[in-house]
This record gives sequence, structure tokens and C-alpha cells, in this order.
Amino acid sequence: MVLRLIERTAVLLVSLAVSSVLVFAFMAVLPGDPARVALGVNASDEAVAELRRQFGLDRSLSTQYFDWLGGLLQGDFGTSYVSKAAIGPQIFDRFQVTLWLVVVAMVVALVIAAPAGTVMAARHRRLSGLALSALSQVGVAVPAFLAGILLIMLFAVKLGWLPANGWTPPAEDPGMFLRQLILPALSLGLVQGAVLTRYVRSAVLDVLREDYLRTARAKGLRPFPALWRHGLRNAAVPVVTVLGLQLATLLIGAVVVERVFVIPGLGSLLLDGVSNRDLLLVQDVVMVLVIAVLVVNFLVDLLYVALDPRLRVGSR
Amino acid sequence: MRRLNPSLVVGGLIVAIIVLTALVSFIWTPYDATLVDPAVRLAKPSWSHWFGTDKFGRDVLSQIMVGSRTTLFVGLVAVGVAAVIGVPLGILAAMSRRWSSEVIMRANDLLLAFPALLLAIMFGAVFGASTLTAMVAIGIATVPSFARVIRSGALQVMRTEYVLAARAAGRQPLPIAVRHVLPNVTSLITVQASVSFAIAVLAEAALSFLGYGTPPPTPSWGRMLQESQEFLFSAPRLAVFPGLAIAIAVLGFNLLGDGLRDRFDPKLEDRR
Amino acid sequence: MKSYPTRAVALAAAGLLALTACSAGSGSSSNSSPGADQALSIGLVAEPASLDFTTTDGAAIPQALLGNVYNGLVKQDETGKIVPDLAKSWTVSPDRKLYTFTLVDNAKFTNGAAFTSADAVFSIDRVKKNWTTSLKAAMDVVQTAKAVSPTELQVTLSKPSNDWLFRMTTRIGAMFSQTGVDKLATDPVGTGPYKFGTWKRGDSIVLQRNDDYWGTKPFFNQVTLKYFKDPTALNNALLTGTINVIGTVQAPEALSQFTSNDKYQVIEGTTNGEVLLSFNNSQPVFKDIRVRQAIRQAIDHKALLDTCFAGRGKLIGSMVPPTDPWYEDLTSVAPYDQAKAKAALQAAGATGKTLRLRLPTLPYATSCGQVVKSQLEQVGLKVTIDQLEFPAAWLTTVLKNADYDMSIIAHVEPRDLGAVFNAKYYTRYDDPTLQGLLAAADAGDEATQVSEMKKAARRISEQAAADWLFLLPNLVVADKNLTGLPQNAITESFDLSRLARS
Repeated sequence: MVLRLIERTAVLLVSLAVSSVLVFAFMAVLPGDPARVALGVNASDEAVAELRRQFGLDRSLSTQYFDWLGGLLQGDFGTSYVSKAAIGPQIFDRFQVTLWLVVVAMVVALVIAAPAGTVMAARHRRLSGLALSALSQVGVAVPAFLAGILLIMLFAVKLGWLPANGWTPPAEDPGMFLRQLILPALSLGLVQGAVLTRYVRSAVLDVLREDYLRTARAKGLRPFPALWRHGLRNAAVPVVTVLGLQLATLLIGAVVVERVFVIPGLGSLLLDGVSNRDLLLVQDVVMVLVIAVLVVNFLVDLLYVALDPRLRVGSR
Repeated sequence: MRRLNPSLVVGGLIVAIIVLTALVSFIWTPYDATLVDPAVRLAKPSWSHWFGTDKFGRDVLSQIMVGSRTTLFVGLVAVGVAAVIGVPLGILAAMSRRWSSEVIMRANDLLLAFPALLLAIMFGAVFGASTLTAMVAIGIATVPSFARVIRSGALQVMRTEYVLAARAAGRQPLPIAVRHVLPNVTSLITVQASVSFAIAVLAEAALSFLGYGTPPPTPSWGRMLQESQEFLFSAPRLAVFPGLAIAIAVLGFNLLGDGLRDRFDPKLEDRR
Repeated sequence: MKSYPTRAVALAAAGLLALTACSAGSGSSSNSSPGADQALSIGLVAEPASLDFTTTDGAAIPQALLGNVYNGLVKQDETGKIVPDLAKSWTVSPDRKLYTFTLVDNAKFTNGAAFTSADAVFSIDRVKKNWTTSLKAAMDVVQTAKAVSPTELQVTLSKPSNDWLFRMTTRIGAMFSQTGVDKLATDPVGTGPYKFGTWKRGDSIVLQRNDDYWGTKPFFNQVTLKYFKDPTALNNALLTGTINVIGTVQAPEALSQFTSNDKYQVIEGTTNGEVLLSFNNSQPVFKDIRVRQAIRQAIDHKALLDTCFAGRGKLIGSMVPPTDPWYEDLTSVAPYDQAKAKAALQAAGATGKTLRLRLPTLPYATSCGQVVKSQLEQVGLKVTIDQLEFPAAWLTTVLKNADYDMSIIAHVEPRDLGAVFNAKYYTRYDDPTLQGLLAAADAGDEATQVSEMKKAARRISEQAAADWLFLLPNLVVADKNLTGLPQNAITESFDLSRLARS
């Protein structure tokens, strides 16, 4: 068990290091001189060269890489080429926003998927199960931004119940914060819920076929308690794994929802950075996203082991 | 005993219709999809324009038909890229020694940290936004799921008597891979391809919405959806047609994938 | 060893989900509440990249800061006339090279320092010494600036120039404090009716009323400029009350939901933004004037405007908006005539030639590009469209390297005819006749300026140096009870000081 933990941690660290090289290398390939974009249209060549010197862009690639990495490890994300403001606080602020959105969306997704998937599995040969299955298929097929647009049209513009866009931090105005969070979280969560439902269904179906469940039923347990006590733990395993995998998709998928609902999250910071050739900003944001995903997958792996005792014993 | 389940039938039908539409669009569309005709702009659906026209006066039905080409093209190339890289990778991982197998799978997992949208945005920024960059990016991002699934499948095949016998007889790994493993994982490949197709379609729609997908004037369902936003108030029908097209296409491929999976092996686990 | 940022972010995420500490994101605006403190929220589209327009190009920065946070010596009124600002009055010497300004004596910067002529000299010299944007060239004609007394400023030009005083109403005329320029990108210091409050990047800029303002204090004590990338979100924000004004309507198709609603007022005026279909005049295919004229005549501008900008905007025949003194309607110089265009192309042997239309990723450019392509193909040309990401890719490829045949972009700077049509700019338009006309206009008296500029405008139109698709309209939608919104947008700034709520 401990060996496994060490192994997993080692893998995590190596992955982080390799990603940092990949990200840096990719950004170095990007055409479009950041200094020229920062200075604007008709800046003189000397001004551009001078700015390049200031940004350290005239040094060798490996120097730039190690400088950047060193900074990251100390928590220094550098200064934006374009806005001259510190990048760290921007990422910090935006990350919180995206995190709220993604986490609430996941919760919505789980709340939908857990009962729906279980029911679908329990009744998978009956009409109700098939109907729900069809519904979930449709849910998967709708892109999150389309769901967002439709929700805005209905709830914000036509009915006026909820704000159409915007973001207020929870500290400033909790009421407004919640109201502005509902529609975007729903857009992401409904679609995610549909995807998750099918995994839950599949996992529960597998569990239903297992012998230990039949044993439990044979021992006299009613179907649902049996499912609950014995099945759910095992069904949870693949679902939890999927949640972790989906995080990467959600984190970056949130960018379209952020665009539709005008939410200042990490995704829109990334898009802005790319558009402005704010190289360092893009590098940092991508790195943060990658780190987040790797760390979450790491934690999910550990959770997987904790949930499934079979994996703890002996070799792999 | 035939294993024709509803998912397979419905999914197959939808996919067939889309492919048919794309093929027909090469020979005939009601109008030239890129013909700008300001005189009839924003026309409501009528006998002359079944789906109406957009803000440039272009026939929406023609655009949807030609757009199906883009959709299929994106899906095909993305899935193709993913399969060409992912399948060998998965088989290799299954057949190699533990250590190298581990390395391959770890690298695979690393790739998972770069979702399709992220790669596509970055590729788009470097190489210019185009259908090609979008497809390649989505393809690369889909490699991990292929590799994973193929690896589990390959592992199962490795345990069959054929392969065990072949290895005992001292056959080289490459012929074993080609003659035994590959044919037996084709069903897995088909299922994964179908499902990944659906994801690719969704990804292309999202990219076009953000502005990193197919550039105009080539019709693309995702971009049509983005262009329709301006008219949500005055002409919401402009969002309905591409939106429905995307949803139906994704639905079709998903159903097809599910149906194929059920048909090949109802006990096959969902290991995306 | 875990890396700090990972841990910090993870901890923060966990902690802040439970607690709430610093403010991230935007603050929402409060609408009209009776009493002394009135707040206003304005929706705009292009967020400034930094707050320092001395080193960063772009219209967004002066739009927010000029006239609001910064004052100049002079400014433009609603009709375009040059009127006093920090300079109460001024005289011009007979040889028109010496300008003597009498300055106000009660202006203060927001850092406490008083505004004197020394600051004016400092600001003028600074343009020449420290500014890096191309617009600084307009200050090159200044030979010396002298502070005769704290309220008297003398500026000597190396030659008479009509243009110089006009340029002083734009951003290069902004007055900076000698002690207030160390953090221009993040903390601007000016003498204006508003002072800089906060900037939440990606979201909004908040300006607070300057209670020590030397002039008439503005009505609103707090103005939030909110930036939207998505035009629909912008519209929705007004509909749901998050903002009170849409400063620049980007999706004119959706205007109908406001014109039919009596809670809102819709203003449609003119701007300085000429949407240009630019020709790379150094390309061989464009050397023949018949080809250039043919392209102009192949385009049905009225249909184009209807299709890609909902018919809002004005058709123009040259680089001059109606608000400039030398405006004439030159749309008849190259009227729509497909047959003539086809014939001209054939005569020039250009039928069947392929032209690269390289568009920036801006909505109006994408829209108009498709109409242009379609119309040009009807007269026998082949047009390939490709999109270059704006700003980065387009600036480098088209603007700097002139690697294009045609492009579409709006030029929004005031009086930019000379700046756009010359041999060095991306239009690569080399015309000594034009240069002569522009020089004469600048050196002559007022009447000469008008007549020569008219000739210059006519020259580039008749020479088909480019095609003018249309003039961007000033489209503003606001709450009905808001007053003081300008009809035409003729300056670089979005003037907040005249706004009030009735």
C-alpha cells in the first residue's frame, strides 16, 4: 500500500515535470512576437527589441525554461507582457471562479446521475428504463453552450427569473452570486449529468449481475437495500474514476460556458491570453490546468485503491 | 439469435442518413450553399427555401447538407488520427514488458491532461484556425481513450489459447499482434470509433463557437450556431436547425456505438 | 517536495469554497437610487490591454480614460469644434508657429499635485521622448515647449501645422503629472472629472468621481465600464439590468428588441470608423487602376451594409466622416455597376485572377468578407478567404508584413487619411500628388486646409486606393432616463462627464 503510494507520487512528479517541458516547448513554437503585439501596430523595431530584452525573450530557450520553472516552484508566476500586471493573482482569482462553476456542475451532475442511472439500471428492460435511457442519450448530444443559450433565452430573457450573465464573488453578495451561478452550473451540469448517468447505469448493471448481490437477495434482502449496501460501493469505483477523467474535460469545457455567461474564469483568461499573444500568461494558465488535472487524477487513483480492497493486496 | 437492438438500428439509421446527405451534397444541393443573395435574407421556411435563409440570404438547408460534410470529415480524421496512434499504442502496451507498458500508459494518462479544446485552441493559435488543425488536435486528444480500451482488449486476447500457444511456440510479437490481437480487437475499435466520432462532432461545434474551428465561408454546423446567436431574438429558427443537426448526429453515433457494443459483447465493460 | 503553487492553489480552492475572502470577479452595478450617490454601468466590447496608452496601441484605452481621467489642453465639442479644456484660451502668432496658451489655475491631479505649465511641458516632451506608439509622430512638429509662468505656456512649432492643435485634442494631448507617471499601466493619474478606481481584468474598470475636479462635477459618482466579448451577452446584460448603457452595439441585428421596447432609447449617429476594404497597392495586380476601380464598382455597398450590418451605418466614398469640416459625399465616384466592372477587368486582363482576402477574426470583417467574395466572384475574380487571428496574427501578417492582397478592417482614429494612405503603411499607397495635397492642407490657413483636404479625399477615391465599405455607426442603447449621450462619436473618448439620469 505504501509502496503504491510512493510509486503514484513519483509518477505524479514525473508527469508534472514532463508536462512543464511540453507546455514550454509548445509556447516557444507559437509564432507572433509577443513584444510586437504588446507594443502595438507601428512600434519601431528598436522598441520591440528593447521590450524583448526586458521580457528575457532574447535568452536561450533552456535558460528561459529553467527560469520559468524556478519561478513556478516558488509561487512566482511572473508578469504579463501585455498588461504588466502580476499573473499569479489573476490566475488565483480566476481559478476560484472556474472551480466554483465546475464543482457545482459536478454536484448537479451527480445529483442527476446517481438516482437516474440506478433507476435506469434497475429497470433496464422495462419501458421506463428505456425512456430514461433515450432521454439521457439526448442530454449527451446537446452541447453545453447550446444548453446555456437556451436556458438564457427561457429563464433570463423571457421569464426574467434569473440574470442572463455576470459574476459576483460570494463575499460581496451571496444572493446575487447564487442567482448568477444557477444557469451556468445547470448548463454544464445537465450535460455532464447525462454523460454520468450512462456510466452509473453501466456500473450498476454490472453490479446487478454479480453473484454477491444474488447472494444478498437469496439471504432475504429486498432489492433496493441490497443494491444500496452491497452494490453501491462497487458501482462507485468506476464512476469515481470517470469523474476524475471528466474533470479535465469540464475545466476546459467551462470555457464555452464562461463565454456565453460572461464569467471571468480561467478558460476566458486563457482565450484572452492566446489572442493577445500574452505568452507567459498562457503558459502559466495551461500549466495550472494540467497540474490541477494531474493532481485530481492522482487523488482519484488513491481513492480507487481505498474503495476497492482487492487492489490493496499483493502485486498489481 | 439475432442481436439487433434498438440502439443499433436507430443509431445506424441516423448515421446512414447523415452519410447519405453528405454524399448527395456533392452532386446536388437545393442552392449553392455559399451564394450570397441579400434580396432574400432571413427568409422564413417556405417551399422555395425549406429551412429558410440566413442573414446573407444563403439557403439554410443547403448549408446543413454541405455542413454534414465538414462534420463527417472532422469526425473521420479525428478518429482516424486517434486510431492510427492509439491502437498500436494500446497493443504495444499490452504486449510489452511491465515496465515499458507502465511508461506507455503513464504517457497516455499525461495526454489526458490536455483536453481536446485546449489543444485545438493552441494549435489554432500556432497554425491558424482551420478544420485541419481542429481535427488533428481533437484526434490527438482522443488517443488516450483508444489506447486504454485497446490495451484492455488486447490483454484479454493475450490470455486466449491461440496466443498462449503461439507464444509458447516462439512466434515473434509482431506477427502475433497482427494476426491474432488486431483482428480480435476490431470490434472494440469500431465501438470506440463510433463513440469518439460523437465527441469529435461536439468538440468541433464548441470550437467553431469559440472561433477556432472551420473558417467561413465553408459551412459548418458549429459556426452556423455561433452566427445564429445574434438572431436569438428576431429569428431563433436559425439556431434550431444547426443545433438539431449537431444533436442528432451526436445521438446517432452514440447510439450506434452503444448498439455495436451490445451486439459484440453484452458483457463488455465501459472503459472510456 | 511539492511545488508551492500546486499546494497553494489546492488549499485555496478547498479553503475558499468554505470561506470567502478576497473579491474575485466583478461587482454588479446598482441602478438608480435616489440621493447623492448615483452609479452607472456601461457595457463595452474591447477591453484595454493596459491602462497606458503611451506605450500600448488600441482605441480601448483612450475610450475609457481620455476626457474622464485625463484632460488635455483643448478638446472637441459635440460639433467637432476645438474648445478650451485645461487651456482657458490661446492665441496663435501671425506666422502660425507660436501658440500661447493661458491655463486654468485651479486644476489638481489626483495625486494632490497642482497642474501647472511645467506639467504641460513635461507631457509634451514626454511624447517625443518616452512614447512608443506610432501616434507620437504627431508631436514631431513641436520644436520647443516653454513654461513662461505657471499659467502661461508657449509652444513653438518648426512649421505651421493645422493638424497639431487638432491632435492635441486626442490622446497625445493628455496632460500628465510630473510626479504621476511611474505606474501608468496600472494606476493612471490625471486631472479629469473621474479618477481611476479599480480594474478587474477580464471584467470591468471602475471610475470614481473626482470631488476635487476643477470643472463642473459630473452627475454620477461611480461609473463601471464592463467589458463583454460576446455581443449577445452584452445585449442580455442591458435587458436584465446589469448595465445601463450599451456603449457600442456589436450585433445590430438584435437592435429590434430594443427599438420596440420603450424602456430603452436607441441612438444612431456616426463615428470616425471607416470600414476599409484595403488593397495592397504594391501587388502587381493592383498596379492597374482599372482593376482597383473595377473592384469598387463590383460591390453593391447598399446590399452589403444591409447584409452584414443590418443596414445601420453610412455609405461613404472616401476616408472622411461627415463630422470633419472637409466632408463631401463621394459615393458617386465609383457607383455600383457590375457590367462596367466586368468589362474593366477584361480590358485589364485580370479576369480569373485570384485574390487573397485575409480577414481579421472580427465579426463585421467575417460577415462583410463573405459578401465581398460573393460579389467579386460575380464579375469574374476568384477570391480566397482566410482568417487571421486578431490582434496577433493579423497585425503581424497584414499590417507589418503586408503579406496580403485585400483585407477588411475598420480604421477608427480621427482624421487618419494621411496616416492610412502612404507608402509605408500596409496600404503601400505611394502617391506624391496626395502627399503634396496633404502638406499644403497642413501648412495653409483654415480655408486652404478645407479645400486641399477635399482634394485629397477626392484623389484617393478617384484613384481607388482602397474601397470604403461603410462608416461604422455610433449605435448606443441605454435606459430611457439617461441623458447626455452623444449622437456622434467623434472623439477617442467615451465622455462620461455629460451623462446624467433624469
